[in-house]
Amino acid sequence: MDTVETTTPRPHQESAAPRPVGESVTRLDAHEKVTGEALFADDLQFGPNMLYARIKRSPHPHARILKIDASRALALPGVKTVVTGQSTPGFIGLYLKDRHIFCTDRARFVGDPVAGVAATTEEIAEKALDLIDVEYEVLPPVLDPEEGVRPDAELLHPELGSYEVANFIFPQPGTNIPNLFKIRKGDVDKALSEAAAVVHHSFRVPHVQHVPIEPHVAIAKVDERGRVTLWGSSQSPFAQRNLIASALGISQADLEVVAPYVGGGFGCKAGVSMEALAVAIAMQVRGRPVKLRLTREEEFYTTFVRQGLVAHFTMACDAEGNLTAMDNKFFWDGGAYAEYGVNMTRGAGYSSSGPYDVPNVRTDSYCVYTNHPVGGPMRGFGQPEMQCGLEQCINRLALEIGMDPMEFRRRNCVKEGSNLVTGMKMHATGIGECLEKAAEAIGWGHKDPPSAPHKRRGKGIAAMWKAPAMSPNAGSSAWIEMSEDGKCTLGLGGQEIGQGTFTVMAQMAAAALGIPYDWVRIASPVDTKYSPYEWQTVASRLTWSMGNAVVAATKDARRQILELVARSWEETPEDLDIVNGNVISAKSGRSSSLKGLVVYGLARPGDQGWIGGPILGRGSFMPTYVTGLDPETGQGERAVVHYTTGAQAIEIEVDLETGRVEVLRGASAFDMGKAINPDLVRVQMEGGLVQGISTALFESLQLQDGVVRNPSFVDYRIATSADAPRDMQSIIVEVPQDDGPFGARGVGEHSMVPTMPAIANAIHDALGIHPGAPPFTAEKVYLAMVDAGLVK
Amino acid sequence: MREAHPGLPDFDYVRPASLEEASRFLAENPQSARPFMGGTDTFVRLRDGFWKETRYLVDVKNLDGRAEITFDPRNGLTVGAAVNMNQVVADPQVRAHYPLLAQAAHRVASYQLRTRATLIGNLCNASPAGDTLGACLLFGGILRVHGVEGFRDQPLAGFFQGPGRTALQPGDIATSIRFPLPVPGSVGHYEKLGRNVLSDLAIVGVTALGHPDSSTASGHRFHLALASVGPVPVILRDLLTQAPLTPEALDEAAGRAMEACHPIDDVRGSARYRKFMVRNLSRRALNRVWEGLQSGHCCE
Amino acid sequence: MAHHRISVTVNGSVESVDVPSNMTLLTMLREKLGLTGTKNGCTAGECGACTVFLNDEPVNSCLVLAVECDGAEVRTVESLARKGKLDPVQQSVIDHNAVQCGFCTPGVLISARALLDRNPDPSEEEIRDALVGNLCRCTGYVRILDAVKDAAQVGAASETGGSR
Repeated sequence: MDTVETTTPRPHQESAAPRPVGESVTRLDAHEKVTGEALFADDLQFGPNMLYARIKRSPHPHARILKIDASRALALPGVKTVVTGQSTPGFIGLYLKDRHIFCTDRARFVGDPVAGVAATTEEIAEKALDLIDVEYEVLPPVLDPEEGVRPDAELLHPELGSYEVANFIFPQPGTNIPNLFKIRKGDVDKALSEAAAVVHHSFRVPHVQHVPIEPHVAIAKVDERGRVTLWGSSQSPFAQRNLIASALGISQADLEVVAPYVGGGFGCKAGVSMEALAVAIAMQVRGRPVKLRLTREEEFYTTFVRQGLVAHFTMACDAEGNLTAMDNKFFWDGGAYAEYGVNMTRGAGYSSSGPYDVPNVRTDSYCVYTNHPVGGPMRGFGQPEMQCGLEQCINRLALEIGMDPMEFRRRNCVKEGSNLVTGMKMHATGIGECLEKAAEAIGWGHKDPPSAPHKRRGKGIAAMWKAPAMSPNAGSSAWIEMSEDGKCTLGLGGQEIGQGTFTVMAQMAAAALGIPYDWVRIASPVDTKYSPYEWQTVASRLTWSMGNAVVAATKDARRQILELVARSWEETPEDLDIVNGNVISAKSGRSSSLKGLVVYGLARPGDQGWIGGPILGRGSFMPTYVTGLDPETGQGERAVVHYTTGAQAIEIEVDLETGRVEVLRGASAFDMGKAINPDLVRVQMEGGLVQGISTALFESLQLQDGVVRNPSFVDYRIATSADAPRDMQSIIVEVPQDDGPFGARGVGEHSMVPTMPAIANAIHDALGIHPGAPPFTAEKVYLAMVDAGLVK
Repeated sequence: MREAHPGLPDFDYVRPASLEEASRFLAENPQSARPFMGGTDTFVRLRDGFWKETRYLVDVKNLDGRAEITFDPRNGLTVGAAVNMNQVVADPQVRAHYPLLAQAAHRVASYQLRTRATLIGNLCNASPAGDTLGACLLFGGILRVHGVEGFRDQPLAGFFQGPGRTALQPGDIATSIRFPLPVPGSVGHYEKLGRNVLSDLAIVGVTALGHPDSSTASGHRFHLALASVGPVPVILRDLLTQAPLTPEALDEAAGRAMEACHPIDDVRGSARYRKFMVRNLSRRALNRVWEGLQSGHCCE
Repeated sequence: MAHHRISVTVNGSVESVDVPSNMTLLTMLREKLGLTGTKNGCTAGECGACTVFLNDEPVNSCLVLAVECDGAEVRTVESLARKGKLDPVQQSVIDHNAVQCGFCTPGVLISARALLDRNPDPSEEEIRDALVGNLCRCTGYVRILDAVKDAAQVGAASETGGSR
C-alpha cells in the first residue's frame, strides 16, 4: 500500500499546485442540496415494518434508580419492547469508558436515558413513556466544577478507577476528576516575582449547544444473527461502529454504519451520543428497523453540549513586553460522563500558553464530573472557551504595560522553532502575518466616530491556535476506482457535514491523478461496510489526514496506469504523465485516453493476450510521530501533529441605551497551509465568525439545579439573518504544512475560536469595561455600564 | 424539564359550519374544546404538553367574511379574525391610517409565521410579550365576539386578565376587531427590544401614541403601553399634557413608565434590566412620536 | 382520533390523502407523500427548515394541520426546478457557495422565492427580514443574502419574474 511522503511539493508537482487544487470549483453536493434531492438520515425510507423509539429520561440531576416497572407500558397496544440498562450492562466511551447505553444503577443528569420504548408509531412510544414507573432515590448533585473537586464532594463515579481509559488520559480515582492534565515548564514563581506587570483574572464560560439545524436521528436494525445496521446523522461512522460493537460485545465487522449527509454537526454528531440507544432497542425487536429521532428540546440537553469552563489566569511580562510567565487553572464542567470531554481538558492543557512563546508555564487543567449535561466535542474543542479568557488577559497585560495589543501579540506569538509549552518545537507558521492582515483589514489604530450620539465604537483583536485533538494514531484511508470512460469514484470514510470535504477530496484526487475535476465522483453515503476506514470527521483533520490518504490512493492508481502504459509503449513510467485525462509521453510524444485501458487493460501486439486489469488505487495515512507527554510535567517530544494559527479583528458599536453590541465588521485571517478550495475556506471563516458572534452575544444554556431552562429556539437564541455583519473579510495565509497534502492543514474549527475574546476586547475598547465571561448580552453590557457609572 | 413531544397529542379536528355551531360546541365542551385560528401558538403549546385536557380543536377561521380588512372614514378600521399579520402589515388602509399597527404586526416573529399568525389570535393568546397588544389597546380596539348568546362588543380595555387569560368565556369566538378613527394627527411608534435584532420575543416592548389636543397645556396628549413587564400590558395614559414639552419632560414621562411597571426575572431578562429598558425605550419611543408630531408626518 | 380524507394539490399534482386530525402538513409531506426535501428542524415554527408554499404564501409546515389543507395548493422545494432548469435563486445559491450542510436550504429557498415573488427588487434589509425565520448554522448568512440579491437581478434581467 502506498503511503504519503512527508514533504511538499509532491514529486510530480511543479512549483504551483496542479489544477484544480487552489481553485474555487463548485461544490459537488450543491445541486442535490438545492433541489431537495440530497438525502439526510430522517429522509431514508424503511417501510411499514419500521418501529419508532422514544426515551424515558431522568428528571433528576442525580438519583439512584431503585426500580423500573414497565408492565403498564408493555400492555399498551402497539408497544413492542421496553429496554432498560439491564439489557446493556457494558460500558461505552471514546477515551474513557464511563457510561452505559442506558443507566443501570444511577442517573447522573436531567435527561439521562433510563429506558427506551419501541412501538408502531412515535405517538404510542411517547405515550408509553408515561406508563413506565421509575422509583428514584434522589442524591445530592454536584453542580459546579470547583465544588466537584473538593475532597468532600459527592462522588459521581465511585468506580472511576476501574474504567478502561486511553493511555494519555489521567483519571484520579476516588475523586470527581476523570482527567487531570498538567504543564510544568520553567520556573513560574520566579518569573512572576520578577515581572514588570502581572494580571490575574477569572472567567466562567457557560455551556452552549451546537445547534445543528438537523436534530439527531438514528435508525437501527438487528438481524436474527445479531448483526447490526445503523443509519444515522453521523460525523463518526467508524467510531460508532467500534464503540457500539465493543459495548455490545459483538464484532466490529458485524456492525455496519450507513451515514448519509449530515445536516450540521459541529461536533455533536461525533463519537456516540444517542445512536447506541437505537441499537440497544433494536436488539430486542430483531428484524425490524427502529427509528429514534430527538426533538429539538432533547437536542439541547440530552446530546453533547459544549462544556462550561471556570478558568483562572495569571500572566506576566517584562518591561519590554515579552511574556514571561503564565499560571493557569482550568476547571472543565465535564458533565455526567466525560468519555469524550476528557480530551478537551488535555487539548486545553497542551495549548494553554495560547499561540505565544512563554518560557514559564504552569497549568492544571481539571476535567470534573458534575450532574450537568454531557460535555462533548464542539467546534474548537475547548479552545474557544479557554482562549476566551486567555486572550482577554493578553489584552489587559498589553494595556497594563502601555503596549498596543496587536503589537504585543505580534511580539510574543509563536514562530518556527519556538519551544512550546510541551517542549515541542513549533513548525513554520503564519500567525504574525494573520495578525497584521486582520488588524489592517479593520483599520486597526484608527477610531471612527460612532453612527449615533448614543453609541460607542471599539475595535478588538484576538489571536488563536489549535491543534487537531485526537488519538495520536487516528488514521485515514481511501480508494479510487476507475470506470470504463476514465472517470472515477473515490471511496472515503470522512463525512460531508457541510464543510465541503467531498469537493476538496475530489479536487485533490483530480490533481494528483491528472484528470478533470468533474470526472471524480464520491462513493456516498459513507458506509462502513464499503467505505474505507476513517477515524472521525472532527478536529479539522480531514483535509490534512484524509487528504493524505486520498493523494496516496490516487498516486497508487496513477502508478498502476503509468506502469501499464509504459509496458505497452515500451517506455519507462518516469517519462509518462497523465494530463487532463490523457496519458502522455514526454519522450515519444505519444498520447492515449484513459478510456478503456483503466478497466480492460491493453492488448499485447499481435493479439498475443493482454496486460493490466481494472485499476484500483488505495492509500492510507496515519501520523506515527506523536509522542506521549509526562503526566506530571506535560513535557514530551511532539504533543500534536501541528497547529493551525490565525487571528480575528472585530469592530463593534455599543448602544448606550440598551447595551446591545452590534458587530460592524470582522476580519478573519488564518494560516491553513494551502487553500485547496479558497472560496470554501472563506465560507468556513464566515460561518465560523458568525457562529462565534452568536456564542459571544447570545448563547448560553441556562442551567438551574441541573435543569436547562431554555431548551428551545424560543429561549436559546442563535444568530439570525438580521444579526450577521455585512462586512466580513476572510484572509487566506499559506505557510505550507510539511506533512499535509499540497501543504494543507485544517481550518474548519478555527474561525470561531478567537471571536469571543475579540469582541470582549472591542467592548473594552469602546467602553473601558471588561465584559468578562460571555455571552455579552445587551443586558450584561448594560448592567455593567450602570455598575461602572457609565450610564444611569 | 420541558416535556415537549415529537408531535401533537391526540385531538379531533372540528370545523363547524357556522358561528352558532362553533359557539355551541365550544360552550358544551368548555374544558376539552379549544378554538384556534392560525394555530401558531396553539400547536406549540399543545406539543409542549400544555392543555392536556384538550380533545377537540375547533377551527374557527374559515367562517364567512372573516378574512377582510375594511376601512370606513366614519367608523374606522375593522380587521377580521382570519386576517394574518402579513396582511395587516401590507394593507394600504392600515398603513395610511394606523401605521403603528402595521409596524407592531411587522415585529411579530418571522414572515412565514406571520402568514399564519393573526391579529385576533395574538390578542386572544394574551401573551404579556405580544407585540400588537399595545397598539390595539392604544387605538381603543373593540372586539366583536360571538358567544352562545349571539354577538356582543368587547372593548380591549379590561380584556386582558393575565398571561393567557382574557375576558372570553367558553363558547366565545372573537370574529373581528374594530378600531375607531384615531384622533387626527396621531403619531405612533413601537420600540421593541429582543435578544436578536429581529424575530425574538420582546424583553421589553414599548408602544407610544401621541396626538394634538387643544385642551391640554402642552397642546398634546401621549399614551404608552408596555409589553413584557407585567402579567398584562401596562398602560399609561394622558402623559405630557403639561407645558412645555421639553426633553426633560419626555425624560420624566419615561421615568414614570419605569415606576409604573413591575417586571419579573425570567430567562429572557432580569427585572432590573427591564426597568431600565422601559425607561430608555419609552424615552426613545416618546421622542420618535414627538418628532413625528412636530414634523407633521406619521412615523413608523 | 378522527381521520379525514383530504384533497390537496401538491407541486401541481392532486393528491387524495387520509390524515389523522393531529398530523401536520410537514408530516404529511414527508411521511405520507415521501416528499423529504422539506425538513423538520424544531417542530415549533422557529427554525424555518420546513417552510413551504401554502396557497402561494410561505408557512412553517410544522405549524399547519394537514386537514386544514383540504382544497389547498402546496408547493415544496421539489417544485422549484422546472424541467431540469433550476430556479434563479437555486442557481444563485450554488454560485455563491451559500449552501453548506444543506439542511436549512430548502426552507431558505422557499422564503427567498416568496420574497422575490412579492418584491422583485428587495433591499438587503428586506432580504434579511424575509429570511429571519430561516435559521442557518453553517454559512453565516451573508452568502445567502448575496445569492438572493443576485437572483433578483437575474430575475429582473430575464423578466421571468419568478416561478408562478
